[in-house]
Order: sequence, then structure tokens, then C-alpha cells
Amino acid sequence: MAISAEARTIPGIPAGKMGVWWFLASEIMLFGGLIVSYVVFRIGAGGWAEERAHTSLLFGAVNTLVLLTSSMTMVMAYAAGERGDQRGVTRNLGWTILLGLLFLVIKGFEYSTKLSLGFTPASAPFWSFYFTMTGLHGLHVLAGIVINTLLWIEAGKGLERHHRVELGGLYWHFVDIVWLFLFPLLYLL
Amino acid sequence: MTHAHISPAKYLWIWGWLAGLMLLSVLVSELALPKRTIVLGVLALSTVKAALVGLYYMHLKFDRRWLTFLALFPVLLIVLAAGLVYSSRLVRL
Repeated sequence: MAISAEARTIPGIPAGKMGVWWFLASEIMLFGGLIVSYVVFRIGAGGWAEERAHTSLLFGAVNTLVLLTSSMTMVMAYAAGERGDQRGVTRNLGWTILLGLLFLVIKGFEYSTKLSLGFTPASAPFWSFYFTMTGLHGLHVLAGIVINTLLWIEAGKGLERHHRVELGGLYWHFVDIVWLFLFPLLYLL
Repeated sequence: MTHAHISPAKYLWIWGWLAGLMLLSVLVSELALPKRTIVLGVLALSTVKAALVGLYYMHLKFDRRWLTFLALFPVLLIVLAAGLVYSSRLVRL
């Protein structure tokens, strides 16, 4: 028997939301493991701060503001869905998608600059972690853009399934939270 | 579960706090303070920002507590794993 995303498995929690949270729990283990590995390696050896000094604070800070703003537009899309405001949903989802793309463009520009200066994943342990963590995070941003585009197309047809905006939003906000820790570790400290 | 009691103005207000705390963390990282103080300060600010996103944008403040437990349990496991790594280093010392 098929179970709809709105069916309840635990009282008060729809099955779809529960499924997304279980998925996010596994993602926390993935990124948490990477971040702890970075911290352990960095504490255990010298020379990392000198490598870290080559990352661009400006690019990192602008990208952080871009992702924070995209989280705000994402939750605004959800709020518009709750009000039955279809145009509000599509408009805010559209902004979220554009801001996600802007994040990737800035990250791509940053990558090309670093690679042209000779900072590659093989040049030092810091850069190995930098490209692994930001690359994996970038893939998650890309996946979020795909999900949000599907939601945007669906919202254009009607709001029958607007609860899915909340589910997509949970994933998008998680990607934002991961960046809130990558930014200080790779750009500030 | 709907969260109609959260107004768009509140979401905007949270964004203002998030942006302000981000700028504050950049400022703290540039201060002439001991490295340990800067690291703890900046990571504490990141934790506050993550909590704001989780509580308000992901609605954990208004959802069932079970979801908060589900989100925090893997964090606890990671902290325990990190603790094991450091305790084994101390034992070797």
C-alpha cells in the first residue's frame, strides 16, 4: 500500500517530513565527520593557518550572505503557500533558485582563481579538505537547485502539493547550516 | 503541521539577526585577541546562527520534540567520536 507524504507515522509528524529528517540525520553524520576530521588534522599539524590565509574572505562572506538570503526566500515561499498565495510561492522559489545559482557562480570563480594560483587538492592537506568539503557542499547546493526548480514548476500549476515546499526547504536550510560552519573554518580561523 | 503563527516579518527579522551575526563573526575573527578566544567566539556565533535557522526556518521550535532529538542525536554521536579520538591521544601520552 502506498503511503502519501502527508500520512502520519508518529502523531503530528507527516511521513514525508519524517523521511526528510531521517535523511538529514545521515547528512549530519557525513558533514560532521568531515568537519571533525578537518579539526583533528588541523590541530595535529602546523602550517594550516598560512594556507587558510590564501582563501578570499570577501568571496566567503558574500556567499554566506547569499545563502542566508536564499534561506529567507525559501521560508517565505513556504509562508506564501500557507496563505494560498501561488504567486508568492513561485516568486520566492524563483529567488531561491537564482541565489543558489549565484552561490555556485561565485564558488566557481573562486575555484578557478585558486587553481590558477596553483592551490590544488594535492598542494597541501588544507586545500585537500577545502576542495572536498566545499565541493561536496556545492553538489548539495546543485541538488537543492534541482529540487527547488521542480517545486517551482509544480507551484506554477497549483498549490495542491504546497506542503512539499516545506520538505524542500528543510533540505535547503540544512545546506545553509553546513555552510555556516564551513565559512568560519575555511575563511576566518 | 502548519506554522501560520510565524509571520513573514518574523522570518525577515531572523534574517537580519543571521546577517548581523555573520558580520559580527567576521569582526571577531579580525580582533587582536588570543587565538583560542577567537576560535571559541566565532564557533559559538556559528552555533547560534545554526540554531536560529533550525528553530525558526526549519520550524523545530514549533514541531514535535522528536524531530529535534532526531537532528541532535547525530551531532552527539560525532562529539562522542571526536572525544574518543582525543581521549586515545591522551592515553598514548
